[in-house]
Amino acid sequence: MNFYYDHFIIPFIIGVAILFSIVLYKYVRWITRLPKRDKLLIRKNIFTRKTLSAIQEVILESLLHRKIFRVNPLLGYMHMSLAFGWFLLIIVGSFEAAVHLKGEFLPPHAHVFYKFFAPKIIHTESGTTWEFIMDFLLLFVLIGVALAWGKRAYSRAMGIKKSTKHTRADRIALSALWLIFPARLLAESFTSGVRGGSSFLTGSIGNFMVDLLGWNTMVAIAPYTWWLYSTVLAIFFIFMPFSRYMHIFTEIPLIFLRKYGLKSSDNKQKSFDHFQIEACSRCGICIDPCQLQSAAGIDNVQSTYFLRDRRYNKLTESVTNNCLMCGRCQVKCPVGIDLNTLRLNSRHSFVSTSKADADNRYSYLNGVDLSTGSGRVGYFAGCMTSLSPKILNAMDKIFAAAKEDIWYADKNGGICCGRPLKLSGEIEAAQKMIDLNTALFEKHKITTLVTSCPICLKVFKEDYRLNGVEILHHSEYISRLIKEGRIEVSKSDLSYTYHDPCELGRGSGVYEQPRDVISAIGNLVEMEHNRESALCCGSSLANLEIRDDQQLKIASQLGEEFKQCNADSMITSCPLCKKSISRVANGKVEDICEIVANSLK
Amino acid sequence: MSWGYTINRARDIDMDRNDMTISKLILEKIPSLQGCIACGACVATCSTGALTKYSLRKVHTLVRRGEYSGLLDELNKCMLCGKCQLVCPRGINTRAVISLIKRELGDHR
Repeated sequence: MNFYYDHFIIPFIIGVAILFSIVLYKYVRWITRLPKRDKLLIRKNIFTRKTLSAIQEVILESLLHRKIFRVNPLLGYMHMSLAFGWFLLIIVGSFEAAVHLKGEFLPPHAHVFYKFFAPKIIHTESGTTWEFIMDFLLLFVLIGVALAWGKRAYSRAMGIKKSTKHTRADRIALSALWLIFPARLLAESFTSGVRGGSSFLTGSIGNFMVDLLGWNTMVAIAPYTWWLYSTVLAIFFIFMPFSRYMHIFTEIPLIFLRKYGLKSSDNKQKSFDHFQIEACSRCGICIDPCQLQSAAGIDNVQSTYFLRDRRYNKLTESVTNNCLMCGRCQVKCPVGIDLNTLRLNSRHSFVSTSKADADNRYSYLNGVDLSTGSGRVGYFAGCMTSLSPKILNAMDKIFAAAKEDIWYADKNGGICCGRPLKLSGEIEAAQKMIDLNTALFEKHKITTLVTSCPICLKVFKEDYRLNGVEILHHSEYISRLIKEGRIEVSKSDLSYTYHDPCELGRGSGVYEQPRDVISAIGNLVEMEHNRESALCCGSSLANLEIRDDQQLKIASQLGEEFKQCNADSMITSCPLCKKSISRVANGKVEDICEIVANSLK
Repeated sequence: MSWGYTINRARDIDMDRNDMTISKLILEKIPSLQGCIACGACVATCSTGALTKYSLRKVHTLVRRGEYSGLLDELNKCMLCGKCQLVCPRGINTRAVISLIKRELGDHR
């Protein structure tokens, strides 16, 4: 039996041993610490089609990087050639070795250093084909490496304006990764130069080197090139579990667990969070969409940095709270990490309110009922709406036109929906609001709940347990009234652009109804960023850190897009967005219900 | 006879004796608080203020003076809805102020 041993494989063996023991340790720890419910989900779903669809996703995302291709084709190609190319080198390399050794015992390192250990086989005819394929794959990966070097120098070519600032471990691992394939090329070229054979890449370079350096020098240097290759591999493997490259393995279990229905929770940090956090590759795709970065120049709070800080236990309350939670990064994240949820449960970890505290603090709200009216359709204007009388009046006009009997939950003031508290991590306090409002809705037996505030809408939909009550944002409600013919609107020549509020669009997935309503009234002109990529107005209640002038800068980005699209007026459907855009807009900013009320027939 | 007006009882405020540490820290972290003109818009619009006597202006004034007793309980009534932030003519991030004072007075971990 041949063990294919040479001293230079020692660093490689050590590296692999360390890498796999740490990764295994992490996974076993995370999995055993999963709560019972999560484990049950895994057991229930593991032998279903979900596993197959997870495998499909692993191939598409972890190997081919489809989502990064969508961000930028060149960036996608770079990641694919590194990940998929390396994967193929391993697989095809193992096949090559296995075929030629005809089932002989093969230690796992043998195919990694195959060219060193099995030089004699390369002269056979099938050997040449294998050589060609392996050289081709190496070239494929090397192009990826060259692109990565190029990205360091000029990331804009790959659609990345600002790239991630890396930690020291990341830099070391990154440097090692960049050297692995050039080192492999060097080692294989030297060996082919010395022994002859090989294909277009390593063979030609080898022959060229022989001409340049002479055969004797080549023989002297060749062993050291294998040492170099083995050492950089070892450095990469040892740093991998401590650096961003932990994502290579972690994304795979993450995809499986996600398919099985495991989720992070708003109010509790769970073991599953580790899979999400360490699956972050710090690719930095989340940095450019972040308006805190592009408008306000804040560059240490973006999701990649938040996850990094949380992973290494360096998270501060100020970084955690400095986020608009607009969700622009989340829709772009190629790993699909549930960024907002992780941010929320981090915020919660800084707060120490208990349920008893919350009961005590808000005891003044017990029994508060300032509602009026008696209809089965409830209207919860929301705190912010109460500061926009135009919206309230417009809604009244629409309700009257539709002859809807309305129960007004908070016309004379009332209890907040709880979402602002939740966004601040005060989940227990928010729950108190949720309980109080739920009791109020049940007491008045409403069947439909209309709200003018997307912030309220999101919490109603996600955290309230309102059995049998349909929850609608007023844009959805109005769109339905128009469709059912309960109100009639006249169409004018005015052009409108529509701003998707974060909590309504990305937050609740309502994109079409407001557009339907606007199209029934005038002409809709889209802004550059719309729907999923719509800009945030900057006043988000989720940010507890930024100053007014920074909010203004963020809003100005929207003001600029409004100017560029030349619409007569900007329509939004959030009282908070309306207020903050009004400060920077050159034209009229209106809520969707205002234009409806004004064009009622 | 009551006319519905009240007046605060006279009390001795000795700024030398008050502990200004938290007060200064809060100002350092949110310098825009310097710009507060105590207009009371935050109180006028306050959802909690409509139901209780909670007043952010009062709390802020006391914090700035270094008189913290009972303030945490007052601030804990706040629902953080953010209306005060929207109406503040000086653009102070009032929700951040409330959270910060709460944190400094020992609410957070």
